[in-house]
Amino acid sequence: MNTVAYCNPFVPVEWLGAHGFQPRWLRLPRRGLAGSLAGPPSAEEPTVGGYRHVEGRRGVCPLAAASVAAISSASVDSAVVLTTCCDQMRYAASLLEQRPRVPLFTLNVPSTWQTPAARGLYLAELQRLSRFLVSLGGRPPADDELASVIGRFERARAALLAARSGLSARDFAAGLLAVRENADCALPRQSEPDAGLPLALVGGPVPESDDALFDWIQHAGGRIVLDATEWGERTLPQGVDVSRTQREPLAALADAYFAIPDVFRRPNTALYEYLGRELAARKVHGLVVRRFLWCDLWHAEVAELKAWSPVPVLDLDAADSEASSAGRTRGRIEAFLEMLR
Amino acid sequence: MSVPARRITLDEWDQRYAELLAAGLTEPWYGGPLRRHVEAGDRRLQKLHLDNSAAALRLWNFLLTEEQRLRQAREQGWRILGTLKDLGTIPVMAYALERVVAFYPDGAWWLPCMMENQTGLLELADQEGVDESFCPVRAMLGAFVCQTHFPIPDLLTCSVGATCDDVSAIAQRLVRLGHPMLWWEIPHRRHPEAGEEAIRLPGGFRAPACQVAFVRGELERIRTALEEWAGQRLSDDRLRAGIRRANQVRAQLRELRRLGYTADPCPLPALEMLVAEMLALHFCSDQAEARGVLEELLVEVRRRVAAGQGVLPAQSVRVYWVNPVADLRVMNLLEEVGGRVCGSEYLFCHALDPIPEDAAPLEALARCALADPLVGSPADRAARICREAHESAAQAVVVSRIPGASHCGLEGLVIADAVRTRLDLPVVEIEVPPITDALEPSLRTRLEALVETAGGGPGVG
Repeated sequence: MNTVAYCNPFVPVEWLGAHGFQPRWLRLPRRGLAGSLAGPPSAEEPTVGGYRHVEGRRGVCPLAAASVAAISSASVDSAVVLTTCCDQMRYAASLLEQRPRVPLFTLNVPSTWQTPAARGLYLAELQRLSRFLVSLGGRPPADDELASVIGRFERARAALLAARSGLSARDFAAGLLAVRENADCALPRQSEPDAGLPLALVGGPVPESDDALFDWIQHAGGRIVLDATEWGERTLPQGVDVSRTQREPLAALADAYFAIPDVFRRPNTALYEYLGRELAARKVHGLVVRRFLWCDLWHAEVAELKAWSPVPVLDLDAADSEASSAGRTRGRIEAFLEMLR
Repeated sequence: MSVPARRITLDEWDQRYAELLAAGLTEPWYGGPLRRHVEAGDRRLQKLHLDNSAAALRLWNFLLTEEQRLRQAREQGWRILGTLKDLGTIPVMAYALERVVAFYPDGAWWLPCMMENQTGLLELADQEGVDESFCPVRAMLGAFVCQTHFPIPDLLTCSVGATCDDVSAIAQRLVRLGHPMLWWEIPHRRHPEAGEEAIRLPGGFRAPACQVAFVRGELERIRTALEEWAGQRLSDDRLRAGIRRANQVRAQLRELRRLGYTADPCPLPALEMLVAEMLALHFCSDQAEARGVLEELLVEVRRRVAAGQGVLPAQSVRVYWVNPVADLRVMNLLEEVGGRVCGSEYLFCHALDPIPEDAAPLEALARCALADPLVGSPADRAARICREAHESAAQAVVVSRIPGASHCGLEGLVIADAVRTRLDLPVVEIEVPPITDALEPSLRTRLEALVETAGGGPGVG
């Protein structure tokens, strides 16, 4: 089956799947993330779409750079969908459009959300995405087909969330990526849930290549009970109205995704409402903010989170060129948990 | 007796000012010697070379008294609107109202430069957790915290969506500091699909008609809010009149750019050209006076062109400049190594293009807003830069990076690639922080190398 790669939660996986494509969450190169888990780029790595390598370029978000690298390397995907949710990824999309290896679609996700016009813009963008997918050989889904796909993904997400308490944070994160690809994915095997002080992880994406972060927190005596990072459970669609999916499935889908609370929304009050609700419900003792260097959206929010949070906050920034940052990050996590005890 | 056009230091301006007074110079209320601005804190003036004309004196005095103007407006009971990010759209609407003044608080990004980091604004931003990984526009956050630079606006608007994350993130922080914000959406300008209705925008970009309609709807929302806030109707007739007045300023600037960038020898330094172009954004808080300032500059430039006078040697290497500089001193630096600016794209070319007067006013403004070079692909922007650089016979292009700005990480790759591929011109990317003194040797070397490469020999100083 043809795959369509994406890496932003505002792209409805159901919409890709209902057009006959296999959604694929973009896996990012190991190097460069999580505070340099691995080494510098090797000399034989290809240039990016004919441009010089963008990783390590001053001012470029490591995640955007890694996305450019991943999309530019030999790909099996039929297409890639990126979004305008942050400026760096918007520019990454523009860069890739210059010398595309695969067809690329940039989904315009409004920052504002209060007006019917903003919601209408998002819906129109999904319809434009549909035309793009059809141009690649996809088929526009009938309403009942779309409703069926939505139902399957809803059940997969619900099953994963129900299993959360029996999973380690790392396995839960892997499960979250799986349900962004496949409604029939197997649930991660019940593992030994992490023990320790309950923490929330908030911030930008934690790619698979960075999942050692979960281990570090666990080894330091923490237990992530809320993964509110960009690729975590915070950004799962907020409950699709199943009864409505029978009548107007696309509108129901659009509304569910458009309501995702995120840092780039203006105002971003929904993010704080979500965190306030979930921190209390899960009896969180500490908040770990994980952000990439040059990510202005999360960086500017850290001070706000510290002022707002009812529990202590640890700010972890991840660079791509700092050889010692892995050790530094581990040390900061350990110190934070010592302080919480 | 006419004094030859040249660039002079502030010390030389003291003498020059005395001479002008003795010759009968008459000035507006904000006139006076430039030295007084240094005493008030604008220390960077001492490091700059400035044009020696009375017209340039008026330009600088106009620029450096804006805070006074805003405070006077408040004292007189006028309403003050702070317009963040859109660079040239909402102020046209605001200046169509009575007793309303609009300005860009983002303009505070030049305060650390002008006051040579004596403002404490960046330190205040640091304390708020907005450090040097952000664009120098973070000085705005410091200015809102200390509230000593400009009067705090009664209302703020901010365009978000396809805008830089720095301003969006800092604007969100302003809300939490208690400043009400009217957000409006500017979508990423995409290329029309095959068969999709498209509209040609001022400046030449094209956008889908549905995007123009969306932005028009957003501006309708702003209009309603402004009417309620100002207690006045912002009718189409008023808007048309406002657009006509804005277009007069834009026409003056186009003529100034035509003369200033094409005549040889160069009739007006790059620094004064940059300051003049900035007047397009919000008219430095006085639209009528901005027209007067530009008219006097135009008269001076026309006189110099007619007399064959310039401020630089003839045949200086022609450089097209991309992005505004955080340190104004760098515009001098280019000229010191034998270059001259022959064209510019300072992020607000859409504020220089004429606003269509044959369309409904908000439709026209929506088209202008979507023509913002930053809301579209950097490839579109690069195409415009290449076109203008070609038309102005540029011999080289400088892409000036703004440290920390979210658009600067990758856009330079696209622009430089386009310039090399399409124009076969040398390009250099430089990064310009608010104060470049420590970096000046390396910046000078890079600009010298560019000028020598483009000019085929050592630069002329």
